[in-house]
Amino acid sequence: MSDAPVQSRPGFDSEMAGKHAECDGGGSVAGTKYAGREDFAGTLTGEYVDHGDPPWRWYVMADLTLKPESYTETTVWCQAGNLFLTEDHRP
Amino acid sequence: MANDPLKTKLTGMLGIEFPIVAFTHCKDVVDAVVNAGGFAVLGEAMHTPDEIAADIKWIREKVGDKPFGIDLVLPASAPPAGALAELQKEIPETHLKFKQEINERHDIPEPKNPPALHQWGGLNQEMARAQLDVVLEERVPVFTSGLGNPGFILEAAHSRDMLVFGLIGKTRQAKRELEEGVDAIIAQGTDAAGHTGPIGTFSIVAEVAAIAGDTPVIAAGGVTTGRHLAAALCLGASGVWTGTLWLACRESDSDIIIKEKLLAASSDDTIYGRSVSGMPMRTTKCVWTDEWGKPDAPKTLHAPYQMLLSADYIQSANDHRREDLMFEACGQGVGFVTAMKPARQIVADMVEETLDVFDELTADDPVTA
Repeated sequence: MSDAPVQSRPGFDSEMAGKHAECDGGGSVAGTKYAGREDFAGTLTGEYVDHGDPPWRWYVMADLTLKPESYTETTVWCQAGNLFLTEDHRP
Repeated sequence: MANDPLKTKLTGMLGIEFPIVAFTHCKDVVDAVVNAGGFAVLGEAMHTPDEIAADIKWIREKVGDKPFGIDLVLPASAPPAGALAELQKEIPETHLKFKQEINERHDIPEPKNPPALHQWGGLNQEMARAQLDVVLEERVPVFTSGLGNPGFILEAAHSRDMLVFGLIGKTRQAKRELEEGVDAIIAQGTDAAGHTGPIGTFSIVAEVAAIAGDTPVIAAGGVTTGRHLAAALCLGASGVWTGTLWLACRESDSDIIIKEKLLAASSDDTIYGRSVSGMPMRTTKCVWTDEWGKPDAPKTLHAPYQMLLSADYIQSANDHRREDLMFEACGQGVGFVTAMKPARQIVADMVEETLDVFDELTADDPVTA
């Protein structure tokens, strides 16, 4: 396998900026074999990062209107494929 | 019967005998189930890319040309990155005090080893991407995404003659992944172990089957018997995804204490909560889940803070092998896991029971409810 680190390329998508979206989110739990699902909703800032090739795109969601009760951060990264725009536009 | 109910879209796609998919973290279980005519998927979420490559090589030596799968938990959301030391400082004093009280009430010793916490931040996206690249390079027959949408990898996988299955907890996620062209959908109900959603297996499997067209749907959540498999096929699924079923099998590398705990457990002995990690998951009940479920317990913190609280407990439980402290991700079907059987026997028993159920249903004088 390649020893090269995964390339990450940040960018800005003006078409996504300001759009309200929901994210069927979640992820693995550090240090364990476990994971959890959780839902978020908020406004996309337009900032994104692409990991690797083919690109795996992630957007920043801010102004969160739905988040887990104990989630203390003001933003969350969301995988593009798990985002649903309120207007049902595909990210 | 005129048609064999166990010959489904899934068995045809994979070229397997029985529509039984084992999800496991143990390579020996993969070997046993695949060689018994089923299909098996090895969970590799916590392994490094090099470890994953080694596991794939080992499995290929055991199963030859038979298909198998590798599962990664592609994250779907991730908080901003933060350094471990900074995160630990943010844990409220009330929670640290409550943790100390739990330790004192239950005489929980210090762990012998440091908790195996991954580094924070980059783990979610970059680590998962590096893991995924190994799966692509190795051309694993089936890649399953345990959480996030694998749509971005479909073209690359298909060009390598790989199949991609997506595991979903909501119907809209299934619809999205079907439109993108995944090869099968695993519809997971809340009865399942670990990172399950809130929708019941009976509801989500039927909903997804109704929109899946020719794409196979695999039912997940609480499936531990042939009766469950028969029901899943009747709901429109083409097979079942089973995890808890294999935790206590002969080949499983689970601690014997966990195996005995599972063999004695019923559906009421699991709990769906956030106390372990801050994210919802279903596990067996234990001292930790009981304590955080009490009315006077603080509200659980979000991941990763809650995990920082529970990490020492988990490590101590496993280091000292205390039955009352140990737990495992476990589905509600655990009540039917009652004997430590070889995996091959589990497959055979499940097949036989499924056929018996269909024989009952199609008999001239069927048993009526």
